[in-house]
Amino acid sequence: MFDKRIVWIALFALIAIGVTACATGGGYPSKALEIVAPAGAGGGWDTLARTVQRSLEVEKLYPQPVTVVNKVGGGGGVGLAYIFTKKGDDYELVVYSPPLIINTLNKTFENNYKELTPLAKLITDYQVIMVKADSPYKTLGDLIAALKKDPGSVKIAGASSPGSMDHLSVAKLAKAAGVEPGKMVYIAFNDVGSGISALLGGNVTCMSTGAGESIAQLEAKTVRVLGVSSAERRGGALKDVPTWKEAGFNVTYEVWRGIFGPPGMSADAKKWWGETLKKMAGTKTWKESLEKLQWVDAYADADAFAKFLTEEEVSYKELMTATGFIK
Amino acid sequence: MWFFDNLALGFSVALTPINLFYALLGVFLGTVIGVLPGIGPMTGIALLIPITFGLPPTSAIILMAGIYYGAMYGGSTTSILVNTPGESSSVVTCFDGYQMAKQGRAGPALAAAAIGSFIAGTFATLVLMLIGPAVAAFALNFGPPEYFTLMLAGLTVVTSLAGRSLVKALLATTIGLAIATIGIDLQSGVPRYTFGNPELLDGLEFLVVAIGLFALSEVLVNLADLRQAIQERLAIKGGLWLTREDWRRATPAFIRGTLSGFFVGGIAGAGAAVASFFSYGIEKKMAKHKAELGTGAIEGVAAPEAANNAAAGGALIHLLCLGIPGSGTTAIMLGALLMLGLQPGPLLFQQQPQFVWGLIASMYIGNAMLLVLNLPLVGMWVKILDIPLYLLVLFIILFSFLGVYTMNNSTQDLFLLLVFGILGYLLRRLDIPAAPIILGMVLGDLMEQAMRQSLLISDGSYAIFVTRPFSLFFLLLAIVSITNPYWKYIGVGLRRWFGRGAPA
Repeated sequence: MFDKRIVWIALFALIAIGVTACATGGGYPSKALEIVAPAGAGGGWDTLARTVQRSLEVEKLYPQPVTVVNKVGGGGGVGLAYIFTKKGDDYELVVYSPPLIINTLNKTFENNYKELTPLAKLITDYQVIMVKADSPYKTLGDLIAALKKDPGSVKIAGASSPGSMDHLSVAKLAKAAGVEPGKMVYIAFNDVGSGISALLGGNVTCMSTGAGESIAQLEAKTVRVLGVSSAERRGGALKDVPTWKEAGFNVTYEVWRGIFGPPGMSADAKKWWGETLKKMAGTKTWKESLEKLQWVDAYADADAFAKFLTEEEVSYKELMTATGFIK
Repeated sequence: MWFFDNLALGFSVALTPINLFYALLGVFLGTVIGVLPGIGPMTGIALLIPITFGLPPTSAIILMAGIYYGAMYGGSTTSILVNTPGESSSVVTCFDGYQMAKQGRAGPALAAAAIGSFIAGTFATLVLMLIGPAVAAFALNFGPPEYFTLMLAGLTVVTSLAGRSLVKALLATTIGLAIATIGIDLQSGVPRYTFGNPELLDGLEFLVVAIGLFALSEVLVNLADLRQAIQERLAIKGGLWLTREDWRRATPAFIRGTLSGFFVGGIAGAGAAVASFFSYGIEKKMAKHKAELGTGAIEGVAAPEAANNAAAGGALIHLLCLGIPGSGTTAIMLGALLMLGLQPGPLLFQQQPQFVWGLIASMYIGNAMLLVLNLPLVGMWVKILDIPLYLLVLFIILFSFLGVYTMNNSTQDLFLLLVFGILGYLLRRLDIPAAPIILGMVLGDLMEQAMRQSLLISDGSYAIFVTRPFSLFFLLLAIVSITNPYWKYIGVGLRRWFGRGAPA
């Protein structure tokens, strides 16, 4: 006959499962997801957040609604402060790129990004250095030689303030070449367009900008791109452009973009997202979007991403100390 | 033919149903704003910018340009029928327009205003199309030093013409420049005046300041003076169209008004209100029946209405080709374009031809729409004046807060809006013009960056501003415009000095 105790245990077990199921809606994920884009609509972070949203929805990887929310301001600081109010909330994700580290190191951000839960590195982009088409500097070596001789004679334009990516990427190259990065003259312009216009008007010597931003000018043959910061040669319009390494400077610079969970995300949710993002990175929707946006796939899982971030921080710390942005 | 190619491109953009709709919506809303006394084109555009969020930039600017033109048109209607100018630029129209309406000739007065506006608007658009690309191509050679001095000249010209008192206008400009320094400094990456508040790192939102200073302070002024003035409204009697005699008298006035408005109000940057006064002065000197001016002469309506529209068009040339707003309204439009991610200026013609030519084509279309909207529907527009003030005030408050909140979903912006609303009210009470604040705020950041970029290029030498010819020219222009009010004293002083001043 049945032991009554077994019936009782079975009954309690059923109730317990039922209660847990109600609480979590049948395991993770049971609720709508919110992805934070820490900048305004239309920028790189926003585009990435929306591309992830679309891929999750179209490929039916997330069973609940996915929304993107823009938290604008503070170079991403407003978004970071927001995600820090969501500690332990498994239904919040946020996208970031190198400014996450840069703005933590220069103390623009009040929160330490290391408390975030890295989930995956998704894509990457590269930096280029370009001069006007009729510039006397034919190669990256020429330009660096001039920098070595008299750092003040080379005016470097970029489209963001000193101590941000356009500046630090050249600083990294210069440092590798033995030039004192703190002695370089870097001039910040409000946007890529006005920087290019200063370059073409002969007001500056060269410009540091994203690889994608150089393509239109390169195709119009108004500029010469001296080098790209990737490890291997890029294709398309940039196929004839040497990498910095090929030009003789053993250094690369990556503009990565990745996705994070809030501080204190549960291990279950972290594991679930590790698997799901890996699946997402292999889907047709995701790959088509990357091609359309000219992004380079750079998928790395949570552990590899965390290790990469540690290396990045060391590299940025060195670079920013050399340029005087960490005192 | 580049000319027709561009125009064809423009019309292909402007004639899409959605853009036609935005042009119509713009001129419609603009006319409403123009008719409503107190809500000027600046307030109107500031208040309506949030509805352009999410629109493609071309549709957004078509909408805003429509509002701008529509407000210029609508302002004349109330001047003529109620003797209450809807805009400062329609004040002059009251002089003869209301008299004409009293004599039962409201129809021809309204028609003359509409036709004058149409002719001038079309003229200004045509000139923009013809000289715009050349001006822009020329300005492409400008480097940071030229931009700095050009913006300095723009700022001083508008400031020197902004209010009755140069000191108060300068004060306003300085407040604007000070606001522009809030946030992360581009050349050093250092935050300024943010007091550790992350939302201030990107600076104050332009729209918060604009809506606060214009729309919300408008409400406060209205509430402070809450009195429903009984306005006698004149009925429209007789024909709506001009007689042969009217045409004969109005045509030269249209031409004089258009030209003077375009050059004084537009190119020289004096603005639509000054342009309309100026053209009225010309009529007083040059019109055939100059003795009749002030008693209901059609020239007195035709010339200033043409002038204020020509000035509005001229100011757009500055905005689109050089990126320098020539008036308070275009300063607000510049702010809005920057929010859409477009940097007006010479590069715009190269990089965004469909945007520039689409706008130009839609201006033709908008002008034609306005002519149709205004003449047969004039009775409807006048009815807008029946909206009670308290209702109007509520709507302005609603749209102000809604507009600001939808931008960043930030509650801090709402508090800032209140602060600027109260500041705007106090400034109005002190007779300090608000337009230079907006101008200073919009240009301040660009100007500071251009100056510091120049100094980095020159290794710190200020000589860069005087050794480059165009930079020197703009610098001199700035000096001339800011000292302008004092010339007469210098003249008087000189005459005294030489002892030759003939006693009056």
